[in-house]
Amino acid sequence: MNVLLCSINTLKRLYDISAVEVGQHFYWQIGDFQVHAQVLITSWVVIAILLVSAILVVRNPQTIPTFGQNFFEYVLEFIRDVSKTQIGEEYGPWVPFIGTLFLFIFVSNWSGALLPWKIIQLPHGELAAPTNDINTTVALALLTSAAYFYAGLSKKGLAYFGKYIQPTPILLPINILEDFTKPLSLSFRLFGNILADELVVVVLVSLVPLVVPIPVMFLGLFTSGIQALIFATLAAAYIGESMEGHH
Amino acid sequence: MANMIMASSKCLIPFSTTSPSPTPTPRIIPTLQMSLSKLKFSISKPQQALTLLPSTLKSLSILTATSLAMAPPSLAAEIEKAALFDFNLTLPIIVVEFLFLMVALDKVWFSPLGKFMDERDASIREKLNSVKDTSSEVKQLEEQAAAVIKAARVEISSALNQMKKETQAEVEQKIAEGRKKVEAELQEALANLEKQKEETIKSLDSQIANLSQEIVNKVLPNA
Repeated sequence: MNVLLCSINTLKRLYDISAVEVGQHFYWQIGDFQVHAQVLITSWVVIAILLVSAILVVRNPQTIPTFGQNFFEYVLEFIRDVSKTQIGEEYGPWVPFIGTLFLFIFVSNWSGALLPWKIIQLPHGELAAPTNDINTTVALALLTSAAYFYAGLSKKGLAYFGKYIQPTPILLPINILEDFTKPLSLSFRLFGNILADELVVVVLVSLVPLVVPIPVMFLGLFTSGIQALIFATLAAAYIGESMEGHH
Repeated sequence: MANMIMASSKCLIPFSTTSPSPTPTPRIIPTLQMSLSKLKFSISKPQQALTLLPSTLKSLSILTATSLAMAPPSLAAEIEKAALFDFNLTLPIIVVEFLFLMVALDKVWFSPLGKFMDERDASIREKLNSVKDTSSEVKQLEEQAAAVIKAARVEISSALNQMKKETQAEVEQKIAEGRKKVEAELQEALANLEKQKEETIKSLDSQIANLSQEIVNKVLPNA
């Protein structure tokens, strides 16, 4: 019996270490509504990182850029390039939207992989990348939808809705369906990738705590960056698509 | 960072009690429940998965029983509804945060740095163009320089010639002077010689007369 107790205790300790918490949230109550506090906290940290670094570096631009300024200029060039290739010549006003999408998602994903969130104990749930919560990704996807509707309507007025019967009116249902599948695929792709990546790392760490998870972690960093790029590129592509003229 | 952690932990404490934690429903087998309104998803803990496998071993069943008995109350609380697709007020808050971030980043990063970069590009292009334009100016300057050098060369050569002439004249003058002097001396010397010659000839003449007298006397003693 003693042996059994011992083994049970060991198992319990292992379980405590390797606890995988999926879909556990730390709730705050605001009025009648609930919010996922862990998402909000991490998103505040991400926003703070972005804003503070940008303010510190871009405060006083030099003609011959310093190292930090050079990096920020490079990122801005990159965002402009993505916007320009997807949207076309009128990309200017969309740079902030595309850039913020890319940066917010990228820094969120990498913060989930690199920042030691687990040091901060929450009473319930755990801190992780904001993008592994469906609320965040759906919020971003809905913003993207709103953005491309706005782009199309402001460019062409009501003629924008002509695209629904564009090749033939037979495609009308499919064209309408597209407006629902676009945000759905955007949000679920990001959500699924980030959640799956974090789960894979956690499970691997619980199985083999040393060395083995490292390649997977690097793979996670890679996919995180790719996901941010994909989200931003697709958003820009949708905006460009709704702005381009019918041929 | 430390401040942020402190701040966040401070505000966590009062809220921690309000976590709604819906009715804890301990699940024994990993289940994937799909209801119409919500997708619920729970991952069973490894321990339970291990202990609750449909096993025929008696010892394992004992272990199961004891582990369930030994499980602390917190364990039961943890196994609860796992809400992956749990939409709530977080979504609009994230939308607002994103819009705020977009405006703020545009204010502190995209607009100022973009403008700065564009201006720098423009100024560099302008400078490059102006450099291309000044090639004619450079040519003119080069011609000027060549003209200046030519003039200087002419001046120098003329000065050199003049100097040469002057020195030559001087030298010739000196030579002429020397020659004159030498000639004068020569003349004088020649004159002297002539004089001496005449004198000697004169003296010789007188001696010749004497000698001839003597010779006559000697030859003609009787005379």
